[in-house]
Amino acid sequence: MTDNTKNAVLDVRNYSLDYKTANGTFHALKDISLEIARGEILGLVGESGSGKTSLAWSIMRYLPGNARETSGKILLSGEDLAQKSSSEIENMRGKRISMVFQDPSTSLNPTLSLGSQLSEVLVRHRGLTRKQAWSEGEAMLARVGLKTPAAMMHRMPHEASGGEKQRVVIATAFACNPECIIFDEPTTALDVITSRQILDLFVELQAETGVASLYISHDLALVSRTAGRVAVIRRGELVEQGSVGEIFTTPRQDYTRELIAAVPDPRRRLVAGQVPTDAQPLVRVEDVSVHYGRKPFLAALTGRKHERVTGNRAVSLSVNQGEILGIVGESGSGKSTLAKAMTGLNPFEGKIWFDGRPITGLKDMNTVYRKDVQIIFQHPDASLNPRQRIGEILSRPLKLYGDAANLDQQIGDMLEQVRLPRTHASRYPHQLSGGEKQRVAIARAFASRPKLVICDEITSALDVSVQASIVQLLLELQKAGNTAYLFITHDLNLIRQIAHRIAVMYRGDLIEIAPADQIDSPQRADYTRRLLDAVPPPVGSAA
Amino acid sequence: MIEFLKRLLRTPQGAIGVTLVALVLVAVVLGPTLAPHDPEALSPLARYKGPSTAFWLGTDQYGRDIFSRLLIGARATVTMAVFATIVGTLIGAIVGTASAFMGGRADEFIMRTIDAVMSIPSLLFALLIVNLLGSSTINALVAVAIAFAPGMARITRSVALAVRKQDYVNAAIARGEGSSYIVMREMLPNVIAPIVVEMTIRVSFAVMLFATLSFLGLGAQPPAAEWGLMVSEARRYMHLSAGILIWPSAAIAIVAVGFNLLGDGLRDALNPRT
Repeated sequence: MTDNTKNAVLDVRNYSLDYKTANGTFHALKDISLEIARGEILGLVGESGSGKTSLAWSIMRYLPGNARETSGKILLSGEDLAQKSSSEIENMRGKRISMVFQDPSTSLNPTLSLGSQLSEVLVRHRGLTRKQAWSEGEAMLARVGLKTPAAMMHRMPHEASGGEKQRVVIATAFACNPECIIFDEPTTALDVITSRQILDLFVELQAETGVASLYISHDLALVSRTAGRVAVIRRGELVEQGSVGEIFTTPRQDYTRELIAAVPDPRRRLVAGQVPTDAQPLVRVEDVSVHYGRKPFLAALTGRKHERVTGNRAVSLSVNQGEILGIVGESGSGKSTLAKAMTGLNPFEGKIWFDGRPITGLKDMNTVYRKDVQIIFQHPDASLNPRQRIGEILSRPLKLYGDAANLDQQIGDMLEQVRLPRTHASRYPHQLSGGEKQRVAIARAFASRPKLVICDEITSALDVSVQASIVQLLLELQKAGNTAYLFITHDLNLIRQIAHRIAVMYRGDLIEIAPADQIDSPQRADYTRRLLDAVPPPVGSAA
Repeated sequence: MIEFLKRLLRTPQGAIGVTLVALVLVAVVLGPTLAPHDPEALSPLARYKGPSTAFWLGTDQYGRDIFSRLLIGARATVTMAVFATIVGTLIGAIVGTASAFMGGRADEFIMRTIDAVMSIPSLLFALLIVNLLGSSTINALVAVAIAFAPGMARITRSVALAVRKQDYVNAAIARGEGSSYIVMREMLPNVIAPIVVEMTIRVSFAVMLFATLSFLGLGAQPPAAEWGLMVSEARRYMHLSAGILIWPSAAIAIVAVGFNLLGDGLRDALNPRT
């Protein structure tokens, strides 16, 4: 231990942080102690609101005005950061300690070229001239695996893909060979395959430079792959700290155990394996294409050709009664576009057969169809009207689809069905937690006893433990009502647990549909296999 | 509600704004009972008097008590301004929200029409309407309300466009709600905060617009104690007594400043992030 302390690059000792808010003091961090030695990666895992990011900002010495540091020290190579003046801190940031943010599209300035943002760091901290910095920058971009570094330097952020931008951000972070780098969920905003590449790059650069890294993430599987040691944080307190092997195979604390158990594992199937087959499927989507954008008025007059953006290209699939069909794909692959077309939120071309009835457009979607097909959205914050009470939100489907007798009684029953107390009817959405809000959204969708429920990434905004309970609830409701699900997600591990069949989409095309238990067979399409390879293996197997 | 008031009173603008508006409201509600004199009682012997214990703010060209006239006139001036603003805001908010909801060509049509209307200065526009309808208090109200609606529609639309993209609106469309329900119940309540702020600021414009209309002889008619009219009448006698002109002008300024500050305070209080 003493040996470790001597080598520690970053040493946080008994650190506590409070925020002063209108409703009193909020203890964001309580008595945090952790150390990162040279060449070590410490994974910091916690759910949203646990104080992960607060800790990152305290280390960067960039705290909001209402923050109060009540105790403890943060030492960088033995120097107390709290004692430093603001100009010393400015010199330190980017040179001795740097940070990689979650979303590269917001952490890069959209009005400056990538090269000028990268060379700025070099000019500022290493005293190079503009010209030297530019050529040095090119070398760095080559080091982070960008194919055409010279061209990339001249590009603007919007001309690069998300993965390329994150590589530039990482190059900037490594530019001055800092002692310590903080990674704040660096792959969360990226697609599965891209984030796998970024992760490989990170591990490679880390081994090469021996920088001490603090890797913040909510994703246990990711951390188990990258980090050497893991610290679990909950509500501002460190629950447990230890090597990856220890934490994931023999966790000492209950909370850690729950967290690990909640991570989806494709080997643990939650539904019966076989696909229920009917003579006639419940829904058949036939060559449905979606295009975005309308023809500009002037272009129509002059007869100029107008290129529309394609959301879906002739997608055909079917869902049987009581079946869970998973749709996976990267962002922009047209998953949500299909869901929107099926619920009348997007105009589409092609045909949807529902219960033997053809639907060719918005006008065919009558009350019966609306009643039978319900959609649940990704963000419960956005899908519940913040100005309406839960009771009013839940009363709408009842009023719309007939049967508005005994409203209060029915709303109470609906709440109980999703394991919420009846008294929640008089609350506003902001008085509920994220998981509770998603339960309300589920109750609203199930109010009309639908035959098909479209779940559009409904668990991706939630923490793992909440996600597990929401999935549990959905499966119970599915069994009770023999409802079919169209379950859209980017989480392959989760969908392999619950779906009967999985459809893979890529850039608006449907690549293939395969039974969930055969998705990893070698006969699958090339893209499917790449997708599966990129998914971090479930926690237990990493150790 | 209590917490909201506390937040409102914490900022200096909010506190001053609330005080001034409360002062004006007292005059509006209790004006006639507080007034020491009959506002239309002429006293030819006491014309152009300066402030005294009998006449707190002095007397005007007919020897009427200015203080009493201001108290009585508050009801006409302020109530009309607030009422006209509310009517204009309501029309504008509904048009703006509906336009944002419909989108596409309909949105384009409505907004370009509004642009055309907005290119006419609001005073000219109000003058036009009053000239068409004839000069009376009600017509002045209609004129101000219509003159305000396009601006409010514009502001509401910009807020409503963000709300339109929210999933609760999508959810309402997906479950087959009617357009009027979505506009009135799902979208309008969520655009209300910026509208309330804009409305309080516009009340002060309305007071001044009304005063201008009355000043030009197109709003309230003599011997009404409307403040703008008082300024207009005093103009000819200001070389004899400056007070006749100054006091009603000051009253208009207080209302304008009060509502403006209240609007600033509300903007901070309704947005807890700042």
